[in-house]
Amino acid sequence: MNDFKALSEAVNKGDNKTALVEVQKSLDAGSSAEEILNKGLITAMNEVGDKFSKGLIFVPQMLRSAKTMQECTNLLQPFFQEGDITSKGKVLIGTVKGDLHDIGKNLVSMMLEGAGFTITDLGVDIPPEKFVEKTKEVKPDIIGLSALLSTTMPAMAQTIEALQKAGLRDQVKIIIGGAPVTEKYAQQINADSYAPDAGSAVNKAKALLGIS
Amino acid sequence: MKSSEVPGFRPRLKVLNREQVLAIHSAALEILEKTGFKMEHPGALRMLLNAGCKVSGQDWVRLPVKLVEDALRSAPRQIDLYDQKGNKTMPLVNGNYFYGTGSDATFTVDIETGQRRRSTLKDAANFARLIDGLENMDFAMSMSNPVDAPIEDIYVYVFAEMIKNTNKPIVCIADSGRDIAKIYQIACQVVGSEEALQQKPFILNYSEAISPLRFPENVMERLIFCAEKKIPVCLPSGSNAGGGAPITLAGAMALGIAENLIGLVVHQLAGKGSPFLFGPNVSTLDMKSTIVSYGCPEWSLTQAALADMRDELYGLPIWAYAGATDAKLMDAQAGAEAMFSIVTAMLSRANLIHDVGFLEYGSTSSLEMVTMANELVAMSRFFTAGITVNEETMALEAIERVATGAPGSIFLMDDHTFEHFMQAQFLPKLLDRSRYDSWEQSGSFDLYKRCNIEAKRILSEQQVEPKSTEVLKGIEQILQMR
Ligand code: B1M
Repeated sequence: MNDFKALSEAVNKGDNKTALVEVQKSLDAGSSAEEILNKGLITAMNEVGDKFSKGLIFVPQMLRSAKTMQECTNLLQPFFQEGDITSKGKVLIGTVKGDLHDIGKNLVSMMLEGAGFTITDLGVDIPPEKFVEKTKEVKPDIIGLSALLSTTMPAMAQTIEALQKAGLRDQVKIIIGGAPVTEKYAQQINADSYAPDAGSAVNKAKALLGIS
Repeated sequence: MKSSEVPGFRPRLKVLNREQVLAIHSAALEILEKTGFKMEHPGALRMLLNAGCKVSGQDWVRLPVKLVEDALRSAPRQIDLYDQKGNKTMPLVNGNYFYGTGSDATFTVDIETGQRRRSTLKDAANFARLIDGLENMDFAMSMSNPVDAPIEDIYVYVFAEMIKNTNKPIVCIADSGRDIAKIYQIACQVVGSEEALQQKPFILNYSEAISPLRFPENVMERLIFCAEKKIPVCLPSGSNAGGGAPITLAGAMALGIAENLIGLVVHQLAGKGSPFLFGPNVSTLDMKSTIVSYGCPEWSLTQAALADMRDELYGLPIWAYAGATDAKLMDAQAGAEAMFSIVTAMLSRANLIHDVGFLEYGSTSSLEMVTMANELVAMSRFFTAGITVNEETMALEAIERVATGAPGSIFLMDDHTFEHFMQAQFLPKLLDRSRYDSWEQSGSFDLYKRCNIEAKRILSEQQVEPKSTEVLKGIEQILQMR
């Protein structure tokens, strides 16, 4: 059957035109959308992620690959069957109250998306109540909190408390990150995980949900 | 003997020609007129509307060139910063350059243990005291985002520590209109009154807009406060190439300048003639680690370019950075990156140069690094002074004396050497030129160790003229206010 070699190569190169053609070819040849996604796209993206963490490629190259994968997934969308697992999980992410830094958080979002997660990005300066409200609405598997200021780190704790109070804490896993944040702080405020950079955020997210 | 001076040239770096300057400037204007920007402060929005800007949607503004021209005309071309005793120590104008530290390092390299740890209020005090004692450091910033200060008043607490530990000018951060007001109160106490502070300001507020083209309410609140009170202020956005701004430096500069011009327009509308220090921060987002670099050549290059734009066009004093590194230790990389930015900032005559002494892309501060940079500034200063050419320095008489003198005559023994060596040579204090044996005998110390010893010496010996008990009491009261 299809080994998705050409597709994988196109995703690796970030060549979206070729990748889309390859996806179409595979569909025409009878591969299922789920198979193309899992054996083709996600496998290729894992390779890309791996190369990135080894320092073999640069961020824009990785992001281009992620974008290519996204476009291919969009093309596949109508072909998924009931019960197909098309998302690794839902992630609700935002920069906490008082903090306006978002470049790191945006990068984390893009990497998670590239790895197959579905993202709801709330933006910056997000108060605890908003996280609570959106958690009820989106029902995420993971909540990601970003803070770049020591002065806004307490807002992470407040957000987690608010989720606790709303009785939502047990239904989600929480990852926190941002320059001043540490593993220790994550434990202290009852988060499930801490990631020092976007690449490890993906690994941590997968680990939390027990997927590879 | 009368010496006749030959008109001197002082080494100077230029990186843009006039065509490039004009092209970047018109790109910035095009951003203001065509793209527009998001102004989230209702008061500032109203001012812009009244001045003739067009607003679409709730807060998206387009700004006509005329307003930029007016603002550039009304902003002062010289900003004088005073020390806390009322001496004009930092006239920011023309080719003057001044160096100082940076603000919110999350970590500090402990001077006793050498370990990186969370920074504290005591660190803010130490850095200020060190600055007070270093002859080439002109102003203090906190170098510390302290773990042991009440979180809603961090910037007021570090300001108070700096006041207690230096009499040099201070560049301060604030989070909101509330803490800038407290900082202002403390500053007024130090010099006696609001009028005294207005006449001889010793503080400059460092605020930041958000690239691309976003002006948050709290940032504008501070800017307007400073404009009204005539406190010098700067508003560099983080237009870092590849992050907040385009990856190509011309575009990143155009965006950063556009953002600064918006800040300037609002500032001049709120306080015509108030002092505004011009200039964005255009560093790069590293394409592997995604850190914003504090040691890259791009940042030095863009601020040299900005200096050219100042000279050709804007005429306002400019804000810059130098003496920092992405290295985690004060190692060879730290030395190389620090020197590169220090000497280029000076050669392009950037006016107020901050961030000296940062390690780890601004996350960690190091007293040793500041101490080293002090010496690197001295070395650069020597170079930048150029070569004095006159009869005395041409030394023809000395040449004749020594050449025709008794056998064994050397210049070292000539009076001309004795009279001139202090100025004619750069005399390092920390850079080691000793012979091997004596270096070994004195402990085989590397530069890091020597800087460590020197920093400790200054911290223990520096006599900072203390503030009066009245002022100290006033500060305590302000700190206790909730
Ligand atoms: C959910 O799970 C996760 C997992 C991992 C996560 C995660 C979430 N979130 C992040 N990560 C991690 O993965 C990301 C990708 O690998 C990484 O994200 P990072 O964000 O670290 O990395 C980004 C890709 C690139 N890095 C960045 O974007 C940050 C770079 C630096 C230079 C920086 C920038 C650019 C800005 N700033 Co600000 N800024 C500094 C930064 C100094 C530095 N060199 O780091 C820092 C963070 N800033 C600081 C300060 C003080 C401030 N800033 C301010 C403003 C700004 C700008 C607006 C100008 C701009 C932000 C623009 C934007 N759109 O985000 C002000 C505050 C505004 C506010 N209320 O938020 C202001 C207060 C300054 C002022 N004078 O007003 C300092 C914080 C000190 C502290 N400990 O609190 C600072 C360290 C600089 C310094 N040394 O002074 C990881 O941290």
